[in-house]
This record gives sequence, C-alpha cells and structure tokens, in this order.
Amino acid sequence: MRAVDIIGVGMYPFKNHKIGLVEMGVRAAIEAVKDAGIKSSDVNIGYFANMQGGNLTKEFTTGQAVMWGAGVNKVPVFNIENACTSGASATTLAMMSIASGEYDIALVVGAEKLNVPMVPLLNPSLRDINVLEGNVVINGFAQRAVRHMHVFGTTKEQLAMVDVKNRRHAAMNPMAMFYQRPVTLEEVLNATMMSDPLTKLSCCPNADGAAALVLCAADLSSKYTTKAVHLKASVLVSGIYDEWPDMQTFEEDQRASRIAYEKAGLGPEDISAAECHDAFTICEVMHTENLGFCPIGEGGPFIASGATALGGKMPMNVSGGLLGKGHPLGATAAAQIVEGVRQLRGECGDRQVIGAKTFLTECMGAELRGDAKTCTVNILTK
Amino acid sequence: MSEELKPMLEGIFEVGPPTKLLGAECPTCGQKFFPKPIVCPHCLEDVQEIKLNTEGTVYSYSILRIPNMLYKYPQPYASGYVDLDIDNIRVYGLFDTDKVEDIRIGQRVTLKSGQIGIGLDGKECLRYYFTPVDGGDK
Repeated sequence: MRAVDIIGVGMYPFKNHKIGLVEMGVRAAIEAVKDAGIKSSDVNIGYFANMQGGNLTKEFTTGQAVMWGAGVNKVPVFNIENACTSGASATTLAMMSIASGEYDIALVVGAEKLNVPMVPLLNPSLRDINVLEGNVVINGFAQRAVRHMHVFGTTKEQLAMVDVKNRRHAAMNPMAMFYQRPVTLEEVLNATMMSDPLTKLSCCPNADGAAALVLCAADLSSKYTTKAVHLKASVLVSGIYDEWPDMQTFEEDQRASRIAYEKAGLGPEDISAAECHDAFTICEVMHTENLGFCPIGEGGPFIASGATALGGKMPMNVSGGLLGKGHPLGATAAAQIVEGVRQLRGECGDRQVIGAKTFLTECMGAELRGDAKTCTVNILTK
Repeated sequence: MSEELKPMLEGIFEVGPPTKLLGAECPTCGQKFFPKPIVCPHCLEDVQEIKLNTEGTVYSYSILRIPNMLYKYPQPYASGYVDLDIDNIRVYGLFDTDKVEDIRIGQRVTLKSGQIGIGLDGKECLRYYFTPVDGGDK
C-alpha cells in the first residue's frame, strides 16, 4: 500500500448563502486544486459528499456537475451519502483509491445546501420504528445526555461550557457561521429548551457550505507542493445494532479510533489537537472520553478544567466545531480535515494550536437501533 | 377510543387490552428482537413471532419541548428506552403524554396504547406507549 498525503484544501464559508449546492462545491474544489499546485486534468478520480440534495433541493448525481465546474471530467466520479460523515467517508475511499496504486490524485468535495424553506427535524427513516415512536436526532442525544448526567454526574453547566468554548473558537474563524459572535454560559443555559437538557444553543446551527481536499500519492506530492500533510489513517466503521444499545458511551468512537491509532502508530496522548462531531454539546463530552483523551465518565470535569480549550492540553474543535461553524452535513467532515491540514501547516492565525504536529478528526452520523450508523476517524501528521 | 383507529404500522403491537409488543425469537440462537427482523441477523434463520413482556424499567428518556410536526405528536412529549423484564431487551417507545414530567431513569413502567399523532397516511392512529406502573399522582 502506498502512503497518501493531502496536498491541497479549500472551503466555501459555512454561512447562509444565496448560491446553490453546485456552485459552493465548485468554489471549494477550485481553491483546493489551486492550493495543491495541480491542474484539474491531473485529478484521476473524484468523490462528492452530500446528504440532503436529493431531499431538499431535488438534485442527484451532483458530483459530476461539481467536478466539471472545477474542470474535472472523464475520470470516475462517485456520489457519497453517509449522513454527517459523508465528507470523511469520501476521504476514506479517496485514500484507498490512491493507497491501492490504482490512482495518483483524488479530489474530494463535500457540500450541502440547507438554507431552504422548511427544513424538517432530521430523522433517519420515516418507517423506522423508533422514529414512528417519537425519536428524532435531537432526542437521541438528549437521551445520551440524561444518561451521562445520571451515571457520571455530568452537569448542565459542564455541557453548556462546550458551546461557550466552541463559540469562542469560532469567533476567531472567518469561515464560521458564528465568526466574531461568542456566547456566555448564561445565554446557553437560558436559551429555549429543545429536548432536556439541550437548549437551542446546545445544538449546532444549520448552514450552507463546502469543503474540498486534494489527496496525492506521497511519493509524488513533492512534485506539486512543499506543504504536504500526511494522511496516516482514514477509518470508517458502522454500528453493532444489538438489542441492548448503550447510550452512555460511543462504542463506535472507541473502535474507529483504536483502528486509526494502530494504523498511524500513535496513541491519544500523541495527538496535538482534534475536531469532533459536536452536533450537540453532550457529543463533544462523550467523544473526548471515547477517543481516549480522558477517562470514560470524566468528560464533564475535563471540559471544566479548560483542557479542551485553545491553549489547553487537548484542544478540541479549535475551528469552532459544528456548534460554532455550523453543520452543512455533507461538507462537515471534510471541513474538519481542512482544519487539520491548516493547523499542521500553521496557517490558523489567532486560533493556531502552537506546535501542532498531529491532528485527529472524528465524525459520526445517523442512528440505527441506538447505534451510530457511521463513524469516522482520520489522523493527520506534519 | 374509536374502534376504526389502526396502529401506526402493522405487525408492531397487538392493541389488546392488554397491549403487547410483537417481537421475535430466533429458534437457533435464542436471541429476542423488537421489532421482528426479516430473519435473525446473527444466524440468517427464520424467526418466530413472540409477544413481549409488558413491564419494564426506564433506561433513558428525553422530553421534546419544541413542535414535532412529522407525526403531529403532542407538545411536549417524552420518549426513550425501556428495559423489558424477562425478555431482557431494550426497546424504544413513547411515554404517557399525560405524565411527561413523571418519567425518570429507573421508573417502573407498563405498556398501553392509544391515539397519539398521525400515521404514514396522515390519519390519526394508535401508538404504543409506556406509563408509570404506580400511576404517579395524576
């Protein structure tokens, strides 16, 4: 298997935009191609990640239109839907395509258009028995929060601190929905209650946006750039789906990260900073535990200690995360990797993690029988 | 309760009374399921339909306070996981819409059914729900 680098990244800001899905994807793709120092015709294979295009804006096989908008034609193009992890799932496929020796350069683009009238509460399937009995995405995470508080003594204040921290990070990120818009603990706690204990500010906002990556065989990357970042592991797992779902841990995180750490030859103690799927405040607390950054059950005190803030011993979601950047589903997991690349290149200005050498991104998406259907962990090194 | 109301999906529960969830058991490995799977995903053998125990303990729950227009549930409503006695499986369900604030982890509950929200066809329908066994004080 060949080693794989990321040689170019691009992003279209996570905000509410007038332009459509294809144009956002194209703009991110062009930035990534130019950043990589390649020509569009150098791309051998393309992966386009999107979740809701078929549902909300009635678009399908959008990837080919995005690729051609960025000058990529003739080559294989795949459209990937894997809920919130679509962008990372596409990256896993791109990495495999190059590692196998079959292709040299892959373009990954994730994009999502959510700024449309009437976006319903997200649910995985109208016929799913849990959905027919009242489950929607926010309830699943509220049930985890209730359980985590009951078993480990996690507090509402500790949960709210996640949003305060990630909004503080986002305030330093011009790509974020909440650029220059921090919040206070009182604002988070006193916001409209959505699903106890999660208030409106405990939930990530919808956003439009796009993110793109150029992956290249490591032995070829010096031909194009001097700032290649190494993609040491790109892992995707799915759930167990047994008759006994555990709502207080993320087994998928534990399994995906164990595989990724092993492939990268690193452990959680070696990671400089990480992005995780903080769709709701409770998520980051649990990811911090289940990725191995603190013991299981201690995510609440860990955030309260300041360890996960910029400048702390394990900075989490320095981009602002989903809570601060917004969550354009298909773009989200690709944008996490964009942040990792920019952090390792030292390009992040005020939110730069000083001396960052390794970066982990985790994403999780959709639910079946109380388990995550998709969970991704990517590890990047300088 | 008017008699023409139907369950939100066929083959999920027996209206009763008593209301019973229609689960399944694999004759090969003994695993119990809810709802009934196409075959046992562990053995790929046909499963037998069984009626599940109607009593259990709340494992976790949530109270949605914003409108959920998907199936026009009451606002607010509670739903979550219940560990069923004897069958030892964890099932998802709504909680009594009149006792939303009474639900706690560890609460003993029993199964009932009644008209809650609408079904896939947009018409009012029956759903199963769990209600506190001691009845609370309402």
